[in-house]
Amino acid sequence: MDSGFYAACTGLLAKTDALDLTAGNMANLSTTGYKAQTEFYSSLEASMGNRRLSPLNQAVNDYGVLGGAAVDMRTGEFQKTGNDLDLAVEGAGFFVVQTKAGVRYTRNGNFHTDAAGRLLTPTGDQVLGEQGPVQLPSGAITISPDGTISQQGAVVAQLKLVTFKPGTALAAEGNSYYQAPDKSELPADDPRVSQGMLERSNLDPVSATIGLITIQRQAQLLEQALSIFHSVFNSAPGQELSRVS
Amino acid sequence: MFRALYTAASGMLAQQLDLDTIANNLANASTVGFRETRLQFQDLVYQEMVVPGSAATQQTTVSAGLQIGLGTRAASSEVLQLQGEYDNTGNSLDLAIQGAGFFQVKLTNGEIAYTRAGSFQLDQSGNVVTANGNPLEPAIAIPTAATAISVGTDGTVTVTMPGQTSALQVGVIQLATFPNPGGLLSNGSGLFTQTTASGDPIVGTPGGSEGLGTLQQGMLEDSNVNVVDEFIQMIVTQRAYESNSKVVQAADQMLQDVNNMSH
Repeated sequence: MDSGFYAACTGLLAKTDALDLTAGNMANLSTTGYKAQTEFYSSLEASMGNRRLSPLNQAVNDYGVLGGAAVDMRTGEFQKTGNDLDLAVEGAGFFVVQTKAGVRYTRNGNFHTDAAGRLLTPTGDQVLGEQGPVQLPSGAITISPDGTISQQGAVVAQLKLVTFKPGTALAAEGNSYYQAPDKSELPADDPRVSQGMLERSNLDPVSATIGLITIQRQAQLLEQALSIFHSVFNSAPGQELSRVS
Repeated sequence: MFRALYTAASGMLAQQLDLDTIANNLANASTVGFRETRLQFQDLVYQEMVVPGSAATQQTTVSAGLQIGLGTRAASSEVLQLQGEYDNTGNSLDLAIQGAGFFQVKLTNGEIAYTRAGSFQLDQSGNVVTANGNPLEPAIAIPTAATAISVGTDGTVTVTMPGQTSALQVGVIQLATFPNPGGLLSNGSGLFTQTTASGDPIVGTPGGSEGLGTLQQGMLEDSNVNVVDEFIQMIVTQRAYESNSKVVQAADQMLQDVNNMSH
């Protein structure tokens, strides 16, 4: 009986974490280039040794915990801004950014230049091209879908666009940056960069709201279960035992 | 769960700021030469619960970590440089730019400001000035006796003097553009000033190769605010605010349920 109590307790904790995750997604409904985080659950094996458990024992003792959050890589909607240095990537592909802490990846193409013509992210880090940091000449520039930056027909630089093998664990860092494991980046095979566009958050508010309701109701169920366990605990020694004598 | 409350609060604050921006855009839907502003948001830091790529067992690593985002913040307000519609006014000093350029005007403190609002007038000494009295840079003076003013698409200003058949050239209007016009600073009255984000101005005569555009005399450029777009943006903002308030409700309800559990 008490293992069920702890299972419900673990489940309730997992649901509160899931609520925090959903809150993070909802708050970023308007964040440029934001990728929603989707939670997944995994079961915690109760049996630590190699001892085999009966199916019933296993069902009762495998607690559901929040296993992790995967980044939803679907492309968000594009919004036209008309600014030449606003870039959006269609399909898979990340811009590569050199930060003080190392190379980071972003889908937020809300770039600008500084006085020296260096191409920078909103946070002020340099955007990398195939030949190092991108340096732009003054004047209007054109960026073609494959990431080639040109001015009046002359090629100035080539934006570096990368993708990752499916299943690569990308770690979100804030400021629209992602960190990837070393040497996991692959050149994007068919990048399509749109100039004068920004990618909106890819969170689907409908499924997020439904997720929110689900989390809330599941938490209520678990709380109900905990309450039932509790009243059973209370009644068992007090009432049942006294009848035996 | 307390995290969720503060995260949702950051989302609600962001949507409030967005609504303020939309309100300003809509209020300026009829302002000549106005440029729409759009807020850009960024995600805040993440709390690492399980680091991606950390060891799950001795042989395997977790495929995705557990990171809980702590909300959002307004990162920048970007000035959208889409072309506005043109209004035919027939006034000889109403000028519209067809292209990316800005008129240069001199402020009273001697600094140069940039504007798309081309509703110019003459001051008492015949200088071409904006509606606020700031003179064009480089200055152009129209002789008081002039009977007609003509501005070519390349910015050449000519006047017709009484009793003369040939036109007299009095100056050339120059335009400026920026590597990143979205980074300009809005100063009100339709005036923008350069920042490190916008980059240095590229000055030239209209119709050149800098992409400054050409001048249209007798026309004014309306605000580039698209009222329909703003309304849609307003609905999105309102619903996003609502979604975040639902998160607050859910977190509150869950906390309340926990408190009400029988014990």
